[in-house]
Amino acid sequence: MPARSFLHELNPLTKIAWSLAVITVAFVFQQPLPLLGLWASVLAVALAGKVLKEILPAIRGLLIFAAIFILFQIFLIQEGNTVFTLLPGSGFGRVTDVGLTACTMLALRMLAMTSTIPVLLATTPPKDMIVAFVEKLRVPYVYALMLVTSLRFIPTLQEELGLIIQAQRARACDLESRNIFRRLRAIVPLALPLLLMSVQRARTMAISMETRGFGAGPRTSLRTSTFQTLDLGVIAGCLFLTAALVIIALR
Amino acid sequence: MDPTFEPIIKVEDYTFYYPDSQVPALAGINLTVRPGEFLGLTGPTGAGKTTLALALNGIIPHFQGGRLAGRVTIAGLDTAATPCARLAGVIGSVFQDPEAQLVAETVEDELAFGLENLAVPREEMRARISAALEMVGITDLRHRPLRQLSGGQKQKVAIAAAIALRPRILVLDEPTSELDPRGSLEIVNLLERLNRDYGMTILLIEQKISLLAPRVPRLVCLHQSRIVADAAPRQVLGQEKLVAELGLEVPPVTDLFRLLSRAGVYHGNLPLAVDQGRRELDRLLSHESP
Ligand SMILES: Nc1ncnc2c1ncn2[C@@H]1O[C@H](COP(=O)(O)OP(=O)(O)OP(=O)(O)O)[C@@H](O)[C@H]1O
Ligand SMILES: [Mg+2]
Repeated sequence: MPARSFLHELNPLTKIAWSLAVITVAFVFQQPLPLLGLWASVLAVALAGKVLKEILPAIRGLLIFAAIFILFQIFLIQEGNTVFTLLPGSGFGRVTDVGLTACTMLALRMLAMTSTIPVLLATTPPKDMIVAFVEKLRVPYVYALMLVTSLRFIPTLQEELGLIIQAQRARACDLESRNIFRRLRAIVPLALPLLLMSVQRARTMAISMETRGFGAGPRTSLRTSTFQTLDLGVIAGCLFLTAALVIIALR
Repeated sequence: MDPTFEPIIKVEDYTFYYPDSQVPALAGINLTVRPGEFLGLTGPTGAGKTTLALALNGIIPHFQGGRLAGRVTIAGLDTAATPCARLAGVIGSVFQDPEAQLVAETVEDELAFGLENLAVPREEMRARISAALEMVGITDLRHRPLRQLSGGQKQKVAIAAAIALRPRILVLDEPTSELDPRGSLEIVNLLERLNRDYGMTILLIEQKISLLAPRVPRLVCLHQSRIVADAAPRQVLGQEKLVAELGLEVPPVTDLFRLLSRAGVYHGNLPLAVDQGRRELDRLLSHESP
């Protein structure tokens, strides 16, 4: 199978090294503009890896999260000059220039740091992740498998939750209600069978693994985790750039 | 004694209680299966079919605890004294839920999973994966992601994954219950072929008698934790009281001929499939007409 892009071809650990580099750089910069640049560079990597469209929903989720974060924080910072006030004259809801910069900075830092995760997931088959963890990082196989199989059940659960929502809608339950409690009350009764179903499913999976010799002792692996020249180049590049940016930021 | 005549499955006076249960899930089971047999196992919901399957592949007592008495011997190995992993190379299992029993992302990785667990060297692994895919007839699916496959295809992958470990026995617990009629038919036809061409011993748990009856030479019925019938499908389905009590889904064509024979019109063997029925009907009508 031909790889879809250079990102898909990289060793998972190389991509994790890139994530760590982004996190490091995000921590040393304190101004919004370089952080915006950093975030843009992450999205550019996703674009080059042909997965930007695929990860857009995740990015949107992160953006909403960042917006909520700003909303909660911005009124708490009182130092600096007033930019505007929510209720003019009362002094309530004062937003200052210092607060605005600080919150934007923190939000951008968070965005840059977390946006690498969907890129990683979209370009790495879970199996490769397991092999890399087990072979190169010496993580016990059981933990690696646990992590990856639980990720695998997410789409199935989403599908089932979708079915439940449809079923409740058919019974004219108010799922579009603004009232979050009312919405929860509509979903919970059917979420219980969903939970029981996944317990049953986990049992089936455990039994199916057991009947195929899982945990028998030393195991072999069909695939190997290899570092190619491209991996070494990317890691070297990340190291160099991170070092350079750290020096610039701290000077 | 010729080793091929030695039983490959031997269940002796086997009784099993799930933890905290006062009612046995299996009670006084005796069952002997010879190598190369194709055995059907049926019975109403809660009869103990799944429990019996779990007792055969060693999940009981190694994974599922409970109180038990009696003994299960698989290819000469006492299941209570043999670790599951050792049994894995002797008896393969396929389950009801096509989704939950698969652990990997792609077909190839799914087949590799068991082989990796048993520490098969990489080169041999490739060869065994190819052979198993070929036997099941899904060589073209090798590199496909599992989530893109239909339920029937997933069940074939589960069968191939079991076969890759080269077991002598295959136990399938209602593998078609979540499939459409066509998918179900493909699975039982595949099992029939594996039994005929490769001499694999197969125990198929199935509620749809019309799938089972025309294919298996021997049908075992479980009811309330006990074996209540163990004979050729024709004989089992001929017992009206049993069929009624267990609520067995007798194929309509069999039912029709049972009525005919009760009315004294028909005297031959009960047909189990539509084509057999048609032949019998032709014969009956040509006798009737002057
Ligand atoms: N994990 C368990 N713990 C306790 N009791 C169980 C468990 N699994 C099954 N039982 C009980 O054991 C009995 C036999 O169940 P089993 O699953 O073997 O039936 P079955 O013939 O496979 O039924 P079905 O056709 O519904 O699959 C039932 O009374 C059931 O309630
Ligand atoms: Mg069952």
